[in-house]
Amino acid sequence: MTVPAPVAAAARSMADRALSWLHAHRALGALPPGTTAEIADPDGVYKPLGETTLAASVILRDGVAGPGQLVAAQSLMDFTWEQLRRGDMLYERQLRHTLMTDPLEMYAPFARCGYRHTDLDRLLAHRARLRSVDGVELLPNRRLAVANAARVAGLDQDVDWAALTRATWLGATPEPWAINWITAYALTHTVFHLTDWGARPRGLPAALAEYVRTWLPVWIDIWREVEQWDLVTELMIVGASLDEPYCAPGDWEAIAALQHEDGFVPCDGDPVSDDPQQRFKDHQHTVVVTAVAGSVALARAAREP
Amino acid sequence: MSSRADFAAAADDLAIRVLSALRGAGDTALVAGHIDSAPDALAALAAIRVIGADTFSPYVLAGAPFHAEDAAAVARSFEAFPLPGTGPTAPTDERTAAWRDWATAQLLARVGGETTWRVDAAQPEDDRALADTADWQRWCVRMAQLATLAQPGLDGPVHEAARGAALPLSRGVTRSVLRRDFPTAVRLIRWLAWLDHEGVTLPLDPLLALEHVRLLGGESPRTALDLAVARHLLEERIPEATQEART
Repeated sequence: MTVPAPVAAAARSMADRALSWLHAHRALGALPPGTTAEIADPDGVYKPLGETTLAASVILRDGVAGPGQLVAAQSLMDFTWEQLRRGDMLYERQLRHTLMTDPLEMYAPFARCGYRHTDLDRLLAHRARLRSVDGVELLPNRRLAVANAARVAGLDQDVDWAALTRATWLGATPEPWAINWITAYALTHTVFHLTDWGARPRGLPAALAEYVRTWLPVWIDIWREVEQWDLVTELMIVGASLDEPYCAPGDWEAIAALQHEDGFVPCDGDPVSDDPQQRFKDHQHTVVVTAVAGSVALARAAREP
Repeated sequence: MSSRADFAAAADDLAIRVLSALRGAGDTALVAGHIDSAPDALAALAAIRVIGADTFSPYVLAGAPFHAEDAAAVARSFEAFPLPGTGPTAPTDERTAAWRDWATAQLLARVGGETTWRVDAAQPEDDRALADTADWQRWCVRMAQLATLAQPGLDGPVHEAARGAALPLSRGVTRSVLRRDFPTAVRLIRWLAWLDHEGVTLPLDPLLALEHVRLLGGESPRTALDLAVARHLLEERIPEATQEART
């Protein structure tokens, strides 16, 4: 099974336009002036900054976008790095909160692309040796997120990937008809982290890849029907990250057609606000997901013989 | 003039009679009884065509004794309404109805034994859509409409298509449950039960899926009949006589 040509065409359009939108609207994702490492509402602006960084880092890593897009991706990472005071904010936050995982998770895409913070590197290396840090109770798919971030950041950790995988919802190869919206997100993230966002397709054990291939067409179908575009696009990343990719042209063409000319993609079928700030708040995640989906599928298409 | 509600009520009445016979209650001529007690004779005859091959499930699945009056009642239902088209230009809906009539006629001939009741319901010609599972969503909707064919003693192109389609059928079950379309889910689970009975390996556990839709979807008489047939296929031994008739 390969990535069909219409999928590659849709993927290029999705990635290029989504990145343009993220770049053009980056100022809407800036941290409020005076934000300190305490961050009262981490999900408000801080986490979206990390998501934008992730999209840009995947595009730089995959290197399959056009030259203009690679420049835009680099510029976007420069912007988010400056927002985080060139890593100082992550360092201060990790210094204050030893057990928090988000400084490492935010740092990983920067580290992948060569943005390093020496003091944070030292602190993370120390922290990685603590049993207390390893013992923090997280949802199983979140543990994979942290393990992959550590892998990407180059921390030397003794990770039992098989045990972490078994603990997830996907690891149980459950009844496919008893899935819900939030569990579907747990599934997509399990695959994202095991495959490092599509770069290590074999990071997903073969039996789980077969399970996902069996049921992915159904899940994409039912969430397309109710216009859950954000989840649908995440599921499409999952398909593109499998050892044998599952990329149905109809799905990719649907998202590419849904995308506005400027790159905007709505998160679902509900009406979209006209207020630029509200639009950014509501839909930035979906544009990030679209950029990642496009880049991962293009990279898979490019790697094929 | 019979209304839509009369037809639905008649189909439910027959489903309830078939179901209680399947569960081993009494030894009465259930189809004849259905006709004799019906407030609306035309609707009662139509109900036989709707329940179709399932009318015979107590005999096929549970070895209930067959009554000649029942064969006569089934034959009358074929005289009361025209046969759907089976030719190459017949629309898909008509072909689907024709398959159901064919199945009823097959079992009438089989179960009726020495009785002289025969009906002439042909197989649709060259129904190529049966083998094309690429659009598995649409294909499964049709297989759900053909669920009465999922029982022992019947074999043909529809069954051949199902044998090669454990994955599309399982996807159809999953899709129907997630869409809360429980009547469709039950009919497709019935095909999975039939495949299980045939020894085909399935990608999901049909018994768990069946119990799930029974608890969540409720049991209208016709759904209860589908559930009962599926459970028979999954859990119980089919009578020896029927096993022999299959070969």
